[in-house]
Amino acid sequence: MSAKQNSKKFKWALDFTGSKNADIPSPLGYNPSALVNQSEVVRDQRLVIKKSWDLALGPLKNIPMNLFIMYMSGNSISIFPIMMVGMMLIRPIKAIFTTQVTSKMAEGAQGTGQRIVYFLGNLANVALALYKCHSMGLLPTHASDWLAFVQPQTRLEYYGGGVSFV
Amino acid sequence: MQEKWLLAGLSVALLLGTCSALYEDQIKKFDWRGVNVGALKQSRVDLNHFQPRILVSTHEGVVASLCVKTGELVWRQVLEQKPRGDIKLLQVSGFSDDSSETAAAPMGSNLGFDMLTVQGHAPALVRGWNTNMGALEWEWSIMPINTERAQDALWIYSKSVLYHVLPAWRSHLEVTAYFASSGHSTGSTSKVIAPWITQESCTLSGTFYVCTEGKQLISLDLVSKSGQVIRTSLETEPKGKTQALMGLNGVVIVDGKPISVNKDQSICGGLQSSSYAVGSFNYRKILAYADLSSGILRINALYLDNCAPAADLEQSLVFPEHFGTPSLNNFDCKQKRNGEGKNCMFLFSTTSESIVAVQQGRVRWSREEALANVIDSQFVDLPLADSEGTLENEMKGKAGDFTSFERDIASAFLRRITTQAVQIRSLFLHVIGLGPPPTDTQRAGLVRDSFGLHKMLVLLTRAGKIFGIDNVSGKHHWQLYLSNVIGFANDEQMRLIVQRSAKHFPLQPLCTILGKNAVNGNGVLYRFNPITGKVAEGGLVQLDYKIKQLSLLGETENDFVKGILLLDASNKVHVYPEHATPLADGMYLYTADVKSAELAGYFVKYAGGQLSSTHIWNARLGGHNSEQQIIGVAGKNPIEHVHSQGRVLGDRSVLYKYINPNLVAFVTQAPDSTHKSVLNLYLVDVVSGSVVFTMTHRKVRAPLSIVHSENWLAYSYFNEKLRRTEITTIELYEGKTQANSSVWSSLQAPPMPLVERQSYILPTIVEALRETITERGITNKHVLIGTASGSIVEMPWHLLDPRRPIASTTQGREEGAIPYIPELPLPTESHINYNQTVARLRNIYTAPSGLESTCLVVATGLDLFVTRVAPSKTFDLLKEDFDYILISIVLVALTSGSLIVKHLASRKLLKQAWK
Repeated sequence: MSAKQNSKKFKWALDFTGSKNADIPSPLGYNPSALVNQSEVVRDQRLVIKKSWDLALGPLKNIPMNLFIMYMSGNSISIFPIMMVGMMLIRPIKAIFTTQVTSKMAEGAQGTGQRIVYFLGNLANVALALYKCHSMGLLPTHASDWLAFVQPQTRLEYYGGGVSFV
Repeated sequence: MQEKWLLAGLSVALLLGTCSALYEDQIKKFDWRGVNVGALKQSRVDLNHFQPRILVSTHEGVVASLCVKTGELVWRQVLEQKPRGDIKLLQVSGFSDDSSETAAAPMGSNLGFDMLTVQGHAPALVRGWNTNMGALEWEWSIMPINTERAQDALWIYSKSVLYHVLPAWRSHLEVTAYFASSGHSTGSTSKVIAPWITQESCTLSGTFYVCTEGKQLISLDLVSKSGQVIRTSLETEPKGKTQALMGLNGVVIVDGKPISVNKDQSICGGLQSSSYAVGSFNYRKILAYADLSSGILRINALYLDNCAPAADLEQSLVFPEHFGTPSLNNFDCKQKRNGEGKNCMFLFSTTSESIVAVQQGRVRWSREEALANVIDSQFVDLPLADSEGTLENEMKGKAGDFTSFERDIASAFLRRITTQAVQIRSLFLHVIGLGPPPTDTQRAGLVRDSFGLHKMLVLLTRAGKIFGIDNVSGKHHWQLYLSNVIGFANDEQMRLIVQRSAKHFPLQPLCTILGKNAVNGNGVLYRFNPITGKVAEGGLVQLDYKIKQLSLLGETENDFVKGILLLDASNKVHVYPEHATPLADGMYLYTADVKSAELAGYFVKYAGGQLSSTHIWNARLGGHNSEQQIIGVAGKNPIEHVHSQGRVLGDRSVLYKYINPNLVAFVTQAPDSTHKSVLNLYLVDVVSGSVVFTMTHRKVRAPLSIVHSENWLAYSYFNEKLRRTEITTIELYEGKTQANSSVWSSLQAPPMPLVERQSYILPTIVEALRETITERGITNKHVLIGTASGSIVEMPWHLLDPRRPIASTTQGREEGAIPYIPELPLPTESHINYNQTVARLRNIYTAPSGLESTCLVVATGLDLFVTRVAPSKTFDLLKEDFDYILISIVLVALTSGSLIVKHLASRKLLKQAWK
């Protein structure tokens, strides 16, 4: 944390001394232990973890909302439900692909767990969107969807004939 | 709710109808109609009328007036169907057997007539016609007491009186006289005792009833009061039947010799000819006679008063072979001063049912009336243009060997370059006019088009004449005449078979006709090239056995000929041509006996160079007392492709179709004591002999038409109870799963199919039913209904669908089925022949074109109608009014616009970079 502060300081100040001696005595009345509150540091870290857990649990929290939207939009195939389903499907997929970027912001001890939760949450969203697609009949899950590809049966026997000519 | 559904259904039906309608400017663009009258029976050439004409009556029950110059129809009246419309007498006023005696009634008087016809026997209808426009002016009828005997009745006209002659064989003649134009009887019926009369030996010549008895002719003058029997002795016993000589009272032709039994009518002796006709020339009566010998037709004439030859009329001409043997029917000469023979027109009827007019030593015109009885038809692809042919060859070579593919690329490239070089050279030579002369077919415009819509329509007629007709223009490209070849027993007609299609480029297509020798009843094969109409590969082959049934085999490998498997009367099998014999191995054959309603199945085996047949099954459909007779047999079209293997239900599951290619429908009919008549339908798998489904209709009878395709069957019949025509449709389904999705074998019997059935009412009389067929079977199927009024109605299958729900259920709605309405609509928009009525419609034939959307149709009857239909509309064709110019302008504008904008954008970027 202090290094961070130092670097912040360098951002605005130029050290003209170029002195190798960094062990300059602190100004009078300066008590380093009084400045850094240990409990505050711990609290900050907790906050970060909490924030990143929020991020990780976000997709899961979206599920009830999505369920409600799904319920409201109905199963008819028209432009708005299709757009909604499209968004519902594409957003989590995009999120899954950008997990690495997102997780950089929340690196920590629980990083792996968060990533897994985030990933699972998004998967759950995808599954929900797929279920919606299914209930709207957009998924080729029925035999009828593959009917056009069914090959005609090969004929084994051939016949000829008709009414007798004699 | 119910009304709403009905409304919805009706509106859907109406919308469907409008889809198939034709625009006004499309009339006669895709279709043409040939109008015929049928084989000539009686004719009257009249060149001296103020409007020269030829009045004819035909064996098809048609009276018509023909144009003298071209032979075209001036008017035509199609009378009732036989036996009611059978024309017994045609009498034109001013032309009696003794024209001097005829009181030709003045024009416009109630008593007179221009032309009189007598038709039918129970009732016999006498009609007076206006010959200028063909209008019926008056009519009277008599109903005989004994209708059976009345069939043999004869009619004669003499001196304004019409005589009805009713023979009672081996007993007497009943003669009743009526005033011709009013129908009033002139007195009582007179009975003439004549115990010698028999059906075979007697003819009526004018007013004389002439019978042969041994070496003499016994004749009676039916009009004279005396009733004297005249006996005329002959030199030899007559071999053939005696014929009356039209136009001379009491003259009969016995074995080609005219003999007069009327003492008032002398006839010149020493004549011998096949046909005679009487007419007048230079105001003198003339007897003309014509004979065909070795392709030359000679016409001679004699003055009847002094038996001097009329040299002016004598002529000879080369008579085309395809007309068959001519017979002089009538002739007339223009009455001018110093009249010459040039002004005479001779009208011939021929054995090939043509009407030929001869004038000035040449054939002036001819009418092909054999087309009034078409019995089979095939659409044959036209040959490729030469350049395309070489390309085709190239493709074939490529497909041939895959092993030397690397080397093949180089050689194929070389071949392509050389082909194109040759094409450019031939194009250049063609432009400067040095190219090779085009072949006959090319000159005639007989080259395949890119969509396969232009085909050669080969028509086989009952008379044995075969026509090659352009299906687009209706032009007759060639004719062939097969004499002494007739159809088979049991009303089975000759067959026309395509043995090799036009797909095998250097090889020419090949068609075969199968018939029966008229003399000994043995089978006859006739092979010809359907494009040129020339005899090919053996030509006429006389078999030494009777044909019982036949089947087409697969293609042979070397010459791509489909062999014909023939079953002879002693159940032996033969294959023609013989090198195709191995392909007959494993074939199944069945025969149906119409009278006893018995089916028999045979298995053909080829082993050790020997072909043998085994009788494997038998089925009796005759019922418990064997009264049932087969009245209809319908298999599926062997070239049919079924694209969709199932039907999607409302819950999105699949109901798989039961597509049994070996299924044949048999319909039997029998009289019944309680139900008048009973109709049975049997669906029989003819490979295994198992009956898949049966159904019985009570109080129902013929006329029956069946159409059988894919997994469905539709048949129309007459309901006697409700007196209307009904159509029953059946669909067969395997169920929600397919027992075997890869192969179909009738021997490993799949479970019995689920059967859906429904009946509909048709507000018309059905003459023919046929399904549309397309190349791949992707296009919807429509049923073409030929009606008795001569129209062809295109009926979409979803109107005939047996799964149309009766209650308005959601399932049916989701399935896309229209709610059930018993009456089928026949909107005028779906009449594919709009106002081009096909008189006496008998059959409809369909064939696929090169376009998946389009099906070629030919309807036959007395007339011929050729068109094309697109059941799912022409989805694979650009609309006719497609705006090519607009599209290309838009394309060019967009492309150039994008280029300009690109340039501008790059300039702007550069400018921005400099800022």
